[in-house]
Amino acid sequence: MFSASILLQILACAIYNNWWPMLSALMYVLVPMPCLFFGGGSTQFLMTRDGGGWIDAAKFLTGASAVGSLAIPIILKHAHMIETGAMLIELVSFFIFICTVLCFHQASLDDDW
Amino acid sequence: MDLLELWAIFGPGVAGAVFGAGWWIWLDAVVCSLVTVPFLHYLPGIFASFAALMFNCVRKEDIDYSPYDEGEWRLKLWLFIAYVVSFVSLAGSAGLLIQDSLDKSAPSVWTGVAGVLQCVFVLISGLVYWTSHPE
Repeated sequence: MFSASILLQILACAIYNNWWPMLSALMYVLVPMPCLFFGGGSTQFLMTRDGGGWIDAAKFLTGASAVGSLAIPIILKHAHMIETGAMLIELVSFFIFICTVLCFHQASLDDDW
Repeated sequence: MDLLELWAIFGPGVAGAVFGAGWWIWLDAVVCSLVTVPFLHYLPGIFASFAALMFNCVRKEDIDYSPYDEGEWRLKLWLFIAYVVSFVSLAGSAGLLIQDSLDKSAPSVWTGVAGVLQCVFVLISGLVYWTSHPE
């Protein structure tokens, strides 16, 4: 599923011969960083209320990064730098990316038992 | 699992999302503006972010609501200053919106509207983060 997400990224660039949407891929790198830095490499902290201030800060940064992935295609479309089709492909790619993260999270929870 | 529990779990993430949305709206206005946006127009968003940071530095357990004792007046003064900064940033963005709509050579009205939306979203994210911490 992650490969499908990246493939849609490349397609959104190649079909229209316009590589501005690759900026959205940068946000894909940013989204897992709070998990790695503050959560000990696990997504379990996202589903708990314990942990204190650092865990809340990690949740905050995860939310901000996720919104960035949505915002970049929309802003590029508004500035007429990409086509509407490319924006839609980008949004589908991000949706698949989120599904990948949720599946990974569920698999991690299953491993804990 | 009740609603307060869910709010405590997902509240910080929602706050981050709203904060990011606010700043991205402003970035959209700056990028799509035909006129260069002067630095003065950036200040309401910066001050709103600063205000949201200010009142989230306070731990809720430390606030004393007793009507008898002197209490933690420094804490309340800090919260009051945070409120003043957020109020000034909102008023400033609204003032800049009105000014932009009257002046032809200024940035477009969308820039002013985006500035107001940015302040509102940033302050809402601060409130969401604050309310998601149970006492």
